[in-house]
Amino acid sequence: MKLSWLFGSSMEAHHLLYAYLSVWAIQGGFCAWVLWNWVRTPKSSGADVEPPPPPEDY
Amino acid sequence: MVWFLLTLGVIAYATRLGLLLAPVDALQGNVFRIFFYHVPHSMLSLLFPYVNLGASLCYLYWRRRDPLKALTADAVAIASAEVTVVYASICLWTGMLWGRVEWGIWWTWDARLTSMLLLWLLYVSYLMLRKLSSTGQTHTLAAVLSVFAAIDVPIVYFSIQWWRTQHPAPVFGGGPDTGLDPSMYPAFIWNIVSWAMWGIFLVGFRYALERRRQAFEQDAALKAIEASLELAK
Repeated sequence: MKLSWLFGSSMEAHHLLYAYLSVWAIQGGFCAWVLWNWVRTPKSSGADVEPPPPPEDY
Repeated sequence: MVWFLLTLGVIAYATRLGLLLAPVDALQGNVFRIFFYHVPHSMLSLLFPYVNLGASLCYLYWRRRDPLKALTADAVAIASAEVTVVYASICLWTGMLWGRVEWGIWWTWDARLTSMLLLWLLYVSYLMLRKLSSTGQTHTLAAVLSVFAAIDVPIVYFSIQWWRTQHPAPVFGGGPDTGLDPSMYPAFIWNIVSWAMWGIFLVGFRYALERRRQAFEQDAALKAIEASLELAK
């Protein structure tokens, strides 16, 4: 099969092309959304945060 | 990163097999190639709900016994639920694109299509509950909802055996005269492997994001407690 067929004017060709493109768009979009949130979420300071001491009358 | 690059390579190879090297289907023509993406996404959208179910059950078990483990399970639960919605959305959308060409209609209230739409709605509800609820028991409610949502998975799977309506019969294990031409197996199997690898990557990445967010929230809570103790002195 030659790829040029994919860009034909039949409904068959259009729908096959839309199917493959939309899968990449949805999967890539979700991955990009996770990456965007990953960059925006500050990394935990971890060991810098000491658990607070219990109150004196605990 | 190695897994990500390997997955992209396998997806490219599987797509080439599906689009260029697999033979044309004698009955359906080239539009059959949609199945090389549709079927793997459908299969995986019935597997990730079980990851969500397992993680939700672990959350319910650990939430009082070991809250730190419960948080880990909760991160797996939300990651797998989001990936389920992504895969189920693709399953529905690519199925509609194929149906419009082969059946002449975008949608019909067939048993398989309806049960799949219900599965999608259940996991969208799960995510909306987690996003919008402010009861303080959100994670517990979501975990309980995921148990109910998982009940729909076997109904979706068996729907084409229990009710023979519009959707094609099972290709594998559907009895005599079913199955795939052996020349189509490489494209089919490589596409299942590639999208499974991608799904594992997405669940892992989303899980890491959720753990990062949880750690940040714990930090913020500890700092708030420290600040309030300072004020109390």
